[in-house]
Amino acid sequence: MRTDRAARAVLKALIAALLTGFALFFVLPMVWLVLAATKTPAGLIQDAPLSPGSLAALLDNWRNLMSFQDGAVATWMGNSVLYAALSVLLTLLVSVPAGYALALMSFRGRRLLLVVTLVVMLMPATALVLPIFLEFSYMGLVNTTASVVLPMSFFPFGVYLTYIYFSTSVPAELLDSARLDGCGEAATFARVALPLAKPVVALVGFFSFVQNWNNFFLPYVMLPSSGNYPMQVGLTQMLAATPTFNPVVGANAEVQPPELVLATLLSITPVLLVFLFSQRFLVAGLTAGATKG
Amino acid sequence: MRRCSHASRRRAAPAITAAAVLLALTACAPPSPAGTAKTDAGTPAAASPYGFAPAPQKDGKLVVWVDSTRLDAAKAYQAAHPDKQLDIVTYDGNANGSNSLKTKVQLFNRAGEGWPDVVFTTDNNTASWASQGDDAFVAPLNKGLIDQGTLSGFAKGALDVCTVDGAVYCLRNDLAQVVLWYNKKLLDKFGYEVPRTWEEYQALGEKVAAEHPGHIIGTAGDAWAPEIYMWGAQCPANQVTAAKAITVKATDPACVRAAQLIDKLVAGKTMSLLPLFGPDFAKNLGDKVLMLPGPAWYGGAVFQGALKTPKGELAVGDALHWADQNPPVTGNVGGGAWWVSRHSARLDAAKDFVTWVTTSDEYQVEKSPGYPAHSPAAAKWIARQQESGYYAGDIAAPITAAAAQVWPGWGSPEFSQEAVWAKTVIPGQTAGKTVESLLPEWQTAIEQQAQVFGYQVAK
Amino acid sequence: MSAPALTAAGVRDRSRPRSWRPAAGHVFVSGYVVLLVAFGIVPTVYALNLAFTDAGGRFAGVANFVRTAQDYRFLAAVGHVATYLVLWLVTLTVLVLVLALLVHRLTATWSRAVLRFVYYVPGALAGASSVLLWLFMLDPSVSPVDGIVRTLWGSTFVAVVAPGHLPWIFTIIAFWTGAGGWIVVMYGALNSIPHEVIEAARVDGAGPVRTALRVQLPMLRKWIVYMLILSLAAGTQLFVEPQLISQASFGVVGTDYSLNQLAYLYAFDQNDFNGSAAIAIDLLIVALCAAGLFVARGGLFDAD
Repeated sequence: MRTDRAARAVLKALIAALLTGFALFFVLPMVWLVLAATKTPAGLIQDAPLSPGSLAALLDNWRNLMSFQDGAVATWMGNSVLYAALSVLLTLLVSVPAGYALALMSFRGRRLLLVVTLVVMLMPATALVLPIFLEFSYMGLVNTTASVVLPMSFFPFGVYLTYIYFSTSVPAELLDSARLDGCGEAATFARVALPLAKPVVALVGFFSFVQNWNNFFLPYVMLPSSGNYPMQVGLTQMLAATPTFNPVVGANAEVQPPELVLATLLSITPVLLVFLFSQRFLVAGLTAGATKG
Repeated sequence: MRRCSHASRRRAAPAITAAAVLLALTACAPPSPAGTAKTDAGTPAAASPYGFAPAPQKDGKLVVWVDSTRLDAAKAYQAAHPDKQLDIVTYDGNANGSNSLKTKVQLFNRAGEGWPDVVFTTDNNTASWASQGDDAFVAPLNKGLIDQGTLSGFAKGALDVCTVDGAVYCLRNDLAQVVLWYNKKLLDKFGYEVPRTWEEYQALGEKVAAEHPGHIIGTAGDAWAPEIYMWGAQCPANQVTAAKAITVKATDPACVRAAQLIDKLVAGKTMSLLPLFGPDFAKNLGDKVLMLPGPAWYGGAVFQGALKTPKGELAVGDALHWADQNPPVTGNVGGGAWWVSRHSARLDAAKDFVTWVTTSDEYQVEKSPGYPAHSPAAAKWIARQQESGYYAGDIAAPITAAAAQVWPGWGSPEFSQEAVWAKTVIPGQTAGKTVESLLPEWQTAIEQQAQVFGYQVAK
Repeated sequence: MSAPALTAAGVRDRSRPRSWRPAAGHVFVSGYVVLLVAFGIVPTVYALNLAFTDAGGRFAGVANFVRTAQDYRFLAAVGHVATYLVLWLVTLTVLVLVLALLVHRLTATWSRAVLRFVYYVPGALAGASSVLLWLFMLDPSVSPVDGIVRTLWGSTFVAVVAPGHLPWIFTIIAFWTGAGGWIVVMYGALNSIPHEVIEAARVDGAGPVRTALRVQLPMLRKWIVYMLILSLAAGTQLFVEPQLISQASFGVVGTDYSLNQLAYLYAFDQNDFNGSAAIAIDLLIVALCAAGLFVARGGLFDAD
């Protein structure tokens, strides 16, 4: 009995150590990043890596960042919000019903649709860029919001998430009973399935937001005008204006490493806020309201 | 329940319509890969006054692509010409081998539209890929578009990187000739003479190793090391002999000599293998730099920017050369250029723009961070640098002299020689091998890379 | 080009017009199908077409595949990707499941929430700043974990990014940015297992390990298969991590480390979209074979 309890304590300690170790692994570089934004360019190199800088340096970095290309950073953030929000909306509108139908309805072509979706998901993105660009060029839509938002709204990952969620967590009997109660497919979906789907809607919305927010290549290819860049494309431009990565920019380089870090922190803030907000739904008991025995 | 199903159908109706429209569009959409169709409609090349078939000319905004640093040039132009309509786009300047210009131009070629009118790049590989083939993007400038007077104002050899088969495709923004940067205060304190030849330089290295260990007189940890040491040594590893032909002799005695120089200094620890702009270098060697052979932009970017060398210490010596080189030659690291699109519908405006940004005092003398490629501007620019009081002694004479000494035998092929060096030689050096022993590997790597791009390789 | 689209939409029964009525399911998937056709199927067909034709649009058979496979960079890249895949899939699957199960078992709500957040945070990071971040993390002279970096890999940055270390470094970077998202997904999936099931197992005398192995993991089967497929696809399409380290190492790690990078170089550096498409199809075939295996074993397509 005693040895059992001792073994249990050791096990508990081991688990705690493991979880903390991984927490450190994930969070330490982020802590470094946050501290780096409060340092001067010289301090970033000379000071101890995990020491804080000063408020003055932080303010200085902020001022420099905001004056980069006459306030381009604010424009880029605005663009990012617009693109990400629009495409999340569209993604949810199309993928939740699709995932639901794939999981719980039988119709011709269901299996085929699942297979085709999977194939497309496995297709290397490098090969898809050119044709998508040509489609938009053909329609004369290059450099428009649509050229970024529409392809980003195609989110097979989200369709699969909803598909798996509905097929594992919502019993078909529940829906059958709703149908028997006299409701049509649309009402069954809207009144029975959708309320159950909150967690997965949050999950899909969240992942599509992150993916759209961080999408670099699509806007980079589609938007030849710098006023339309989202933040990720803007960040690459700032990287190219940092002497560390592009020595040719000279002594009066516009972007110093701490400013680049600050720009990054700015760019990930919305993602973290959305995560905190949706976390409530993400992990809420996924089976709440399911049929009981 | 009837109402339910009705509602669903109504809601779905727009989606189905949209589906049909998109299907129709995509079904008839396969765009022809021949992107040049639209421009071919213009004047035939033979009858053109420019040496290429220009697109039909129209009014409108001139689309200019610049990097962050050259945004000043476009803004200065706009300020001096308030009546001209500009659409200024910032991009990464094709820096760091990002290939962003190439990527986008290839997409535009496929789409047959969308090219910018004027582009700035920081690399030297654009002429070789953008001027050739059916999908050529850049316009020849010396066939009538730009006045001969303007072209002849550029420093000797400045337009070499723009030239393919006798046609000039760009106006050089700044030069990056290699000179000898040294810390005068430190050199005087140690009581050394400024070396004039690579032989003297090597001897000095051995002396420094013995008398002042820890100090360095050069670096070889960056991708552009071959452009400092191999180019200046007239190493024939990169001779572009025709648009698609290259001669590679990386094990030539001239290369071996330069390799041995690097190896000796590295062994004596007076040449560092740390990347110049990595955090490590500034931290550990920032105040140990006695001298660095390097391009003209080192003064601003390395000493003022990264190393924070105090005012009044930095001086410039004549570019190093090998004793038997006659005339003396030097290397070159980078230097940006301006290009005009041959698809441009606003060629006059484009011509005016590139001429102004490369020659006018308002930009090249007042604001340019690099040594101007246009000689009259360069003379005024260097005088201004001298007046700033940052440098110890005369910097104008050695930098100006080196501008005309860049060896023309080092070509600008379609691929990046820097990338080849960084990938093959630097890891080998880090693993403790000598550059001399790595020369055959370097040779093979250049050959393979050249073949990938369809070059005829001669050895 | 529209033929597969029509089939996918389930309209293939048009040959028998009287019997065809769109089922409600078709209406539900219609919006998605539009996007799938426009941004999935059409581009894929276009790429397939490119892979089997030459620059002039004439049928080229397997010439593009042969030519790219003979490229001196091809086999090296295959080796790199294979090594990385093994490391990445094993570490990801094992660690994600272990961490999700452990976090799920924690009793304090706040610790669960904090850990989920902390594990997820790096997932928000992408692009330019990760270049800077990893340049500093992997450079022993400025790294906050310099002791670890020095003992594992070497005392200068260039020594750290030596070819032999790269698969490990990429695995670490990919795990650091990508694992948090999967932990959240798995955690959510664990939550969806009805309490009664776990309770029943406990009553039967199953310990936590046996509950995990016998009850929880089998119920996560579809999720695990899905994670494996996507991670496999992401692994074969390795691009971001080597590109990042290439930028941070100033080119010492080449931009032709992985197959996907090679496909990118073919398209946008060499202007050879046909060769690029051929490499992409190679990758697709490998990913499809493995995915087919996972799907068959995991019953991913069964409508429960």
